[in-house]
Order: sequence, then C-alpha cells, then structure tokens
Amino acid sequence: MTNYFNTLPLRAQLAELGKCRFMHLDEFTEGVDALMGKKIVVIGCGAQGLNQGLNLRDSGLDVSYALREAAISEQRQSWKNATENGFAVGTYEELLPTADVVLNLTPDKQHTNVVETIMPLMKQGATLSYSHGFNIVEEGMEVRDDITVIMVAPKCPGSEVRAEYVRGFGVPTLIAVHEDNDPNGEGLAQAKAYAVGTGGHKAGVLMSSFVAEVKSDLMGEQTILCGMLQTGSLLCFDKMVEEGIDPAYASKLIQYGWETVTEALKYGGVTNMMDRLSNPAKIRAFDLAEEMKDIMRPLYQKHQDDIMTGAFSAGMMDDWANDDAKLLGWRADTAETAFEKTEAGDMEISEQEYFDNGILMVAMVKAGVELAFETMTDAGIVADSAYYESLHETPLIANTIARKKLYEMNATISDTAEYGCYLYNHACVPLLADFMSGIKSDVIGKGLDVADNGVDNARLIEVNAAIRSHPVEEIGAVLRGHMADMKQIV
Amino acid sequence: MFDSNITLEELSVDFDGRFQLADVTWTIEPGHATTPAEQWLIAGANGSGKSALAAALAGEGNIVSGTLSGLPERIALVSYERQAELIAAELRKDDADILDVISEGTPVSEIISDVSLDDTLAEELVATLGIAPLMDRAFRKLSTGETRKVMLIRALTSQPELLILDEPFDGLDHDSRLWLQGHLATLAETTRMVLVLNRLDECPDFITNVAYVEDGQLVHQVDRADERAFGELGQLLHLKTSELEVPRADPAASLPPLDPDQPLVRLTGATVRYTENVVFENLDWTIEAGQHWQVSGPNGSGKTCLLSLITGDHPQCYVNDISVFGFQRGNGESIWQIKQYIGYVSTALQWEYRVSTSLRNVIISGFYDSIGLYTKSSDVQKAIADDWLEVLGMDRRADEPFNKLSFGEQRLALIARAMVKHPPLLILDEPCLGLDDMNRQLVLALIERICRSGEVTVLYVNHRVDDAIPGIENHLALG
Repeated sequence: MTNYFNTLPLRAQLAELGKCRFMHLDEFTEGVDALMGKKIVVIGCGAQGLNQGLNLRDSGLDVSYALREAAISEQRQSWKNATENGFAVGTYEELLPTADVVLNLTPDKQHTNVVETIMPLMKQGATLSYSHGFNIVEEGMEVRDDITVIMVAPKCPGSEVRAEYVRGFGVPTLIAVHEDNDPNGEGLAQAKAYAVGTGGHKAGVLMSSFVAEVKSDLMGEQTILCGMLQTGSLLCFDKMVEEGIDPAYASKLIQYGWETVTEALKYGGVTNMMDRLSNPAKIRAFDLAEEMKDIMRPLYQKHQDDIMTGAFSAGMMDDWANDDAKLLGWRADTAETAFEKTEAGDMEISEQEYFDNGILMVAMVKAGVELAFETMTDAGIVADSAYYESLHETPLIANTIARKKLYEMNATISDTAEYGCYLYNHACVPLLADFMSGIKSDVIGKGLDVADNGVDNARLIEVNAAIRSHPVEEIGAVLRGHMADMKQIV
Repeated sequence: MFDSNITLEELSVDFDGRFQLADVTWTIEPGHATTPAEQWLIAGANGSGKSALAAALAGEGNIVSGTLSGLPERIALVSYERQAELIAAELRKDDADILDVISEGTPVSEIISDVSLDDTLAEELVATLGIAPLMDRAFRKLSTGETRKVMLIRALTSQPELLILDEPFDGLDHDSRLWLQGHLATLAETTRMVLVLNRLDECPDFITNVAYVEDGQLVHQVDRADERAFGELGQLLHLKTSELEVPRADPAASLPPLDPDQPLVRLTGATVRYTENVVFENLDWTIEAGQHWQVSGPNGSGKTCLLSLITGDHPQCYVNDISVFGFQRGNGESIWQIKQYIGYVSTALQWEYRVSTSLRNVIISGFYDSIGLYTKSSDVQKAIADDWLEVLGMDRRADEPFNKLSFGEQRLALIARAMVKHPPLLILDEPCLGLDDMNRQLVLALIERICRSGEVTVLYVNHRVDDAIPGIENHLALG
C-alpha cells in the first residue's frame, strides 16, 4: 500500500486539505433516520467503541459487537464490556455478513489487519466507518468499490462522548465521506445520522475530508496538545526545583495549572486566558510567548512538513513493525521524570494563583496554540479545522494531566498521538534550553515581584491589540459563538 | 448579669389535653462578664407547639414528666392566649355583675397599674404607644391592637427577669412596631428574653439562638451565627408555613398523551446480572398511574439498578422485557422519548450535576431532561422556574451559581427541576441521602406537598423508616 495523499495531484491535495465547513443545526433535522432499522456492527470495544455504541443504541439504533472468537471464548474484557452492557455479541463471521454499517473503532495500528479481515465478510453495498482517517490517508488502504466509506470522529475521549450524551448534549464531531468510496451517494446522510446518534450535532459538526482530518489531527496532537504540555510540564517543574521552590508545590502548580489556565482558554480564547493575568504579568507572558514562538517555529514547521510528506507516519509504522520499541522506551522514560515522580502537595492553590504564579505556563499555551494554528493554516488547512485541532482541544488534554499527570494523558490519547508527542518533546526540550536558562521564579512558581501593577499605556494597548487580532482569536470568536447558541454553559 | 441556667430536661407538659409538649431538653445559658447572654427565638409552623413551649416557660400547663428549673421569680408573658384570658376574665366580671347598672369593666389605667412596678416607665410607654386617650376606657372595649399594646406595657413595666413575647409585632401598626423593635434591642442588654416569631426574617439582631419546634418537640437548636443553618431553618419554615401551589406546566410543551388504560411501567421477569453476580432476577412489577410506590431494601439489593431499568439509564434495559409509557424497550425508541415522561432525583444526579450554571437554569434544564442547559429557554419557562424558586423560598437567589449552593439547597432545586415539566412519573431515589436533619425535613416537606398535588405518580426509594411519606401506600421490598 502507498500513502494515499501522496498519490493525489497537487490540486486535489489542496482541495482535500481545504475542506472544512461548520454545519448548522438545521442540517440535522432528519435525525437518525438514515440509519434507523439498519444493522450496525461495531468492531472494537474499547472506550470509543463501547461509548459510541451506547449512545447510538440510546438514540434508537440497532447496535451489536463483533469480536474475535478468542475474545469471546476466553471472555476477555471486550466481551465483558459488551455483554454486561446488554449488547448482542458475535464473531466476525456471525455478524458481518448481515451488517449494513460496520464501525471500525479499533486503534490505528490494527486498522490494516482489521479491514483486510472484515472486508471479505462484508455484504455488497454496506458501509464502513472510521473515526480517524490514518488507515486510508497514510497507509493507503483501498476499500472494495461497492462499500461506502465514511468517517465520524468525536473530538473527545470516549468517556466524554458518553458523559456529554447522558447530560443531553454531545461533543464536537468531525464527519467526512471518502470520495473514492461513495458508490450510492449515501455517505453524507449516514455520517450525519451517525453524528446525531452520538449527540455530536448538538455540540457542532465540521464537515471535512479524510485528508484534512488526518493532516490537522496529527499536527495538533503532537505539537500543542500533547507535546507542548509534556515539554512545558518537565521544563517548568525542573526550573522551579532549581529555583528552590517546594517540589510538592511545583508538582501541584503544574498538574492542575494546565487545566485551570486552559479553562479560561475554553471560555474566551487566548484573549481571556491572558486577561486573567495582571497587566504587568500579561505583558511579561506576551513577551515570553513571542520569544518562544521564534525559537519553536522551525520545529512546528518540521512537524507539519513531516506529516504532509508522510515521513512521520512512515517512521511510526516502522516502530509498529518493530513491536513499538521506541514508543515503549519513551513511555518508560517519561514515567521516570522528576515531575512524574513527585507527588502533588496538599497545599491550597486558589484559581487565580495558578495564573499569577504560572505566567510561563500561560505563555507556553499561547505560543503553542498560535504556532500550531499558524503552521496548519500556512499548510492549507482551513482555519475552522485548525482551531479545533489546536485551541479547542487543549483544555481536554489538560484535564487528563490534572487527573494523573503525563501518565494519564499518554494513556488516554491514541498511540499515534503519544508517539508524536515524544518526538516533539525530544526536540523541544533542548531547543528551549537557552531560553529556560534565563527564566526565574518570578514567572514560574512565585509570581512577579513588583511594587505595583502599573504599566505603560501605549505598551498595554499594543499588547492587547496583538493578542486580540491573532487569526485564532477571530475564528475562535465565530465558532464559540455558534457553540454558545447551543450550549449556554460552555 | 443573669444568674443561672434555665434548664428543661425531658420535659413533657400537658395543656388540658389539647396539646402536649414532649421530651423537651433545652438549656438557656445566662450571660457572663465576657459572653453576652443567650437571647432565644422559638420558631415553628402553626400548631407546632412554639407558643406552648413559651407558655410552659411562664409556668403554664401541667408538667407530666421531666424537670423545669432555674426559672427566675418575675416572668412576664405576652401572648394571644394571655390576652384572650384577660379579656375572658373581664367578660366574666361583667356577667357576674348582678347590679342593674351598666358595667364599664376595669379601666385600662387599672389594668396597667395592677402589675406595674415602674410608674414612670408606664407613663412614658402609655404616651409613646398612643394609649393615653384610652386610659379611662374599659379594657375589654379596646381593639385587638390596642389590647396588645396594653399587654406589652404591662409586661415591660413589671421589671421581668425573663420576658417572653409570643408574636409581639403582630397586630401592631408600623410606628409602634418600629418603636418596639428599638426598645427590645435596648432591653436585651439587661433582660433575658424569649421571643416567638412566625417568620425568621423578622428576627431581631439581638437574638443569638433559635429553637425550632415541631409536633410538640424541640427538634433543632441553631446558633444564629451559623449563617447556613439559620438560612436553612428559614427555608424550612417557609415550606412548612406557606401554602404550596405547584407552579403550572409549560403550555407550549406537548408531551405525547399516554394511553390511560396502559400501566406507566411494566417489568416482566426483570433480571440484572453481571459476569460475577446477579443483582436480582425474575422480578415482575407493574406501576399504574396514580399508584405511589415506596421501594426499600438493604444496600446492594438493586434499588437504584431497578429504577435505572425504568429510566433507561441501565444498559441491560435492552435485554429485559420492559414496557414504559407504551414503549416496548429496544424497538427504535430513543431514551429521550422515555425520559420526557420522568422526573428524576438522586444523589448520583447531584454528583453529576457539576456544570457551572445558575440556579434558575438548573430548574429550566428539567424541561429538557438535560444536565446543564443547551437550548434557548422561553420566557414562559423562565417564569415557571421563578415560580418554583418562590415555592422553595429561594426566589432572590435565581442567578446564583448552582455549585455554590449548600448540599441541601441543591437537592431542593433538583426536586424542583424534576417536577418542572409535571412528569407523569416522579422517581425519587433516596432523596434524603447525605442530608443533615434539617435539610432532610426540608426535602420531605417538599415531597409531601408534591404528592398531595395529585398530578404525579411517585416512586420513592428509601430505607429509613422515619422518612416515610404520607400518601405512599404501595410497597416493594427488594433483597
């Protein structure tokens, strides 16, 4: 198989990359009709597989789970997950020949194997759905011509997909139809019905392409979302300890700090996050972010370039073929870092203190979000898509660090994201070494040591204007506006 | 300043068989050089026994058991009962008059001087309260308000060591009320007082402690400084004393009508099992409209599990024979079609309700069965939510963030949320769990009112016997 994206002519590459449209609620008035009464079979009963299945069934759809024979006979966890939740379970051979829609919700690295196994069993004219386009775009999987291929990708971990549905809402979801596999023109209607069935339409649906999803998703997750937070955690912790700050305090400030500062991001973008700082601190954070953006820009560009050329996925697939040797080694290294091993203290840290004493963390989030957004849009990805893959998802990942630090983050995200995160971290830590040598505890750990909060008017106006006029803020205001119409509580 | 404790120990007092105070244990502490004396307020709903407790302190009623000690010598009591007695005595004098002359009865001046120990003060009070023109009038000819003023003057001029005032502000005109409030505040520095009031918002600042009476028992003693407890007590009184009218349903909401001949719920051979264990099996249960049910059973007997089969929250509802609101489960219906007929409250719901939104929005979210509010609400829905907040006594707090309310207040709001759409079935899963005594009573008072409204079928899960709700007659025991 060859990289699908690389087989496309440039004009098709650009067209595919540029596909992304925020859909309006009134485009979903047909609800789940396109899938009502159809037999939906899920492959993979992990967090996404189980939770999406629960939502679809609660929306009135017919859902069952196909497992490997061994998983059933040995009553493995996937079998337990499915049966204890009252789902019908069968082998591939039992369920797939009569399935109308097959949802492939297995990890990326199993896709080739899974799809090659199930394709011969699927009936004529059935639909195959992915929640990530890696297998099609990067690995070049070719699906039988009579099969419709769609993607429905909730932009949240599986547990959130369920929790939001139960609350009566949903999570933002990306849908796409693989143009090469839409023989009956039913792909879009089915993808929309699927998004309604998981509740995604209430939180906002982006209609995109397999290519745009893969190239932007990979970029976001390995740079700002996971990479920057991991690098930032390690650098900020070591710096605080070096500056004589209580390690238990440092550990807590970082573990919960990302969640707290990005909560402000979720409500009102970079502007609001920066507005939570005092004026002198805001100007300081702005300057630090500008400096870091200059240092890190080539790294962000390299990540985007490697994703576009397929160099990233080729490298990762080599590691898959080598039993994940690199991934597992890097995972073990992360577990041994001082930050991971230092328990957060039980001191009180007020919400505002996370901002006041975490100026550098705020600057890192700003630099990472803006750089990732700029780099993606420079590469032809639409601003809407770049927004979701950078700013929008940052708080979601930050929440995982608040739960159990980097271990939890890396356990929750996909192996693909984790692999990219380590690549970023290994390059970014040395890249920022010089910059970090000039950092003192006034911007991380203690807060500014100033007599008063006075600032120069002209400078403040200049900094505020620069923050507010960044393109990620402009598209963010529009998209959050759509969201606010539907979700008054954010 | 005041020398000794007034102590009631397991005191039961009978009032001519009309009313009984039972097992009251209560201590009123005297003040010391450094600590101010306790000044108590007795609160309670009508008929709760708050006036009886005040009267018992003044030596009325017959002590059946227990002890009452430490009372000072001079105690003054102003109450409607005392007022009525005095007037009755005056009328008896009139009846007893066999002479053929027109009796005027005892004049006001005499009624006052009979008990007054401070004539200067008496004159001052007579002038202040506008009684001067009435001094020669017969006491029994006065209006209720005027009689009340005379009673107050008698009490205040008798140099009481314990002054007991039962609803002293009732029936007074505005100016007199203000004057009395000021006067009592000054008096509080030197005189021990017990007030009885119907409404906590009239509670004077000098009151330091509140005793809450219900069914002839002293059930709560609250330190005024404990603002949260004081607030909750106010809410409890509100629910106990105001006539609850269940606010209207949203006229724009059109719940598909139910077939009146079908039961609301029918479970046939219901079974919930996990790989390791069976929670319950072969359970048959039918709930007809209008049949209130209580479900009980030990922990782990599957009470919540059973309810969630009905609400559709338990995934095994799809492998059971369940018919709810006319839907045979697992035939293409969505859970939102089921939930629209159900109002639901549980501790788990409260834990899950962590979204940051206003109290009002939490109640409105009941129209949409959602946790958090994701749909633009109508003005009518907002108005209905405000009506519910008034019922709860929380109307001034509509815009407060829900997650800043006390645990008990949140629970009350969630009950209102469950009721807001007038669901055919209201499910209350241990609605008192985790609540302190006061909040428990608050919740039970609200539920009892809702049950009485007769619109909704209630399914109530609880294992505490004393949390029984009048009006629930069917019982399902699990385990």
